[in-house]
Amino acid sequence: MILFDFDYERAATLEDAVAILARLQGEARALAGGTDLLPSMRMENIKPRLLVSLGAIEPNEPEMLADGSIRIDALSRLASLENSSLLRDKVPMLAESAHVVGSNQIRQMGTLGGNLCQETRCMQLDQKHDYQFVAPCFKRGGDCCYPFPRNKRDICWSVYMSDIAPALIALDAEVEILGEAGRRRIHVEELFTGNGLKPLKLGQAELLRAVFIPQRPRGYTWGFHKSTVRGGLEFGMAVIAVALQIAEDGMTCADARIVIGAVREAPVRLAAAERSLKGVVLDEKRLAQVAAEASREANPLPHHGFTKRHLMDNIRVYLRRTMAQAIGRARSPER
Amino acid sequence: MGIALSDLAKGGVAAKTKSRTRLISLCVNGEWHEVAVKPRDMLVDVIRDAIGLTGTKASCESGICGACTVLVEDRPVLGCITLAVECEGKQVQTVEGLADGEKLSGIQEAFLDQGAVQCGFCTSGMLMSATALLRRNPKPSRQDINKALEGNLCRCTGYNSIVDAVLQASAQGGVKAVMK
Repeated sequence: MILFDFDYERAATLEDAVAILARLQGEARALAGGTDLLPSMRMENIKPRLLVSLGAIEPNEPEMLADGSIRIDALSRLASLENSSLLRDKVPMLAESAHVVGSNQIRQMGTLGGNLCQETRCMQLDQKHDYQFVAPCFKRGGDCCYPFPRNKRDICWSVYMSDIAPALIALDAEVEILGEAGRRRIHVEELFTGNGLKPLKLGQAELLRAVFIPQRPRGYTWGFHKSTVRGGLEFGMAVIAVALQIAEDGMTCADARIVIGAVREAPVRLAAAERSLKGVVLDEKRLAQVAAEASREANPLPHHGFTKRHLMDNIRVYLRRTMAQAIGRARSPER
Repeated sequence: MGIALSDLAKGGVAAKTKSRTRLISLCVNGEWHEVAVKPRDMLVDVIRDAIGLTGTKASCESGICGACTVLVEDRPVLGCITLAVECEGKQVQTVEGLADGEKLSGIQEAFLDQGAVQCGFCTSGMLMSATALLRRNPKPSRQDINKALEGNLCRCTGYNSIVDAVLQASAQGGVKAVMK
């Protein structure tokens, strides 16, 4: 139950929704699936005066454009992504990343745009505050940080836990943002500020409209892994997305994109690890060495009870296995 | 304590907002109901309190446990994080809509046969998730069932008999009724 009153308006189009959001200047929130927003409102982390429902707007099916890129409506339900035959066939990494989100009910409700625009999470933040905390933390507008008491006011080490964002960044996807001034397109990795207090570079009256995935290059292969404790219905302790491009000889790595999610305020792209993979022959020893360096480069924040050491070990082991999985996929006949 | 009280007063933005109650119509189990709801009323509360169908349970109320699962337009959704106003004019099916009068549905019979009901609090959500699964995939594997029911927690931990019950209901053989 949400303990405060708010108003509700249903937008007929995304443009209407943007107009309403602009009129209320930050006191309104867009409601798509609600699986992140409504629990946050229940915990009173977010207290909008008005919810603008996007529920009446029907998303388009994912479609292939003339240049080989794929357009996915931001309002697409996650369940429709994991079950889409186009995505399963062309960008299986995206379908897989949608498949591991939350539970079946969450995927039936939650949308792609909502998944990207989710709030960062922290064990201390994500509970009703009157339960055990007296003063609000920085993110709630207070003046302390419970998990990191020495943090300054402008630093919030809450963790951005989308499973889909790392996959989209590894795929070099772009998002189309609709605002009052019209549409603009940015790369998914530019969507994040890296500041837990305000994780997204979105204005008060801006909404995600669509996600574009460029055509995959020749020799492209992928690996995806979400580390969890139970294996379902939970946020990841680390999410690993790897996109490799294998050269003609089938052994050398021509290009690599490695993204680790759920360990910092934004998904982390491992630039040094990508560089050290480029142009080298991928054997087991090399992968182990790159994974060990990468786990240090990722520099994970301790979150949800996992220590930094534990997360680094997790990334080291699973990044190596995910890269090996990607290479195995490239060499197997069916892909 | 002084800090907390003053912060509560500061945080009281919502007190200024007075939302309007509106009439919405919902089709629950084939029957249209007109209910007065506020925007903040959740679907599960409306189904239980306004419509009076208490088979659907509200448990964690934050979208974790799945006890409040109902089918909205044949999709399993969590009633505790769905606004009732969002469901205006939609078809909702709850656990009460599974049985045909006194005759239980196949999945309900299977739950009884397998002893899949312990304290019973998760059962209505489990039944709705399983119903949605069987409609989409009439012959699920054990793995498919685990994946489809991952959003329903059973604190009695009787998962094996629940998965057996769904397998039994899908009539694929290999599972014997234990309670008959």
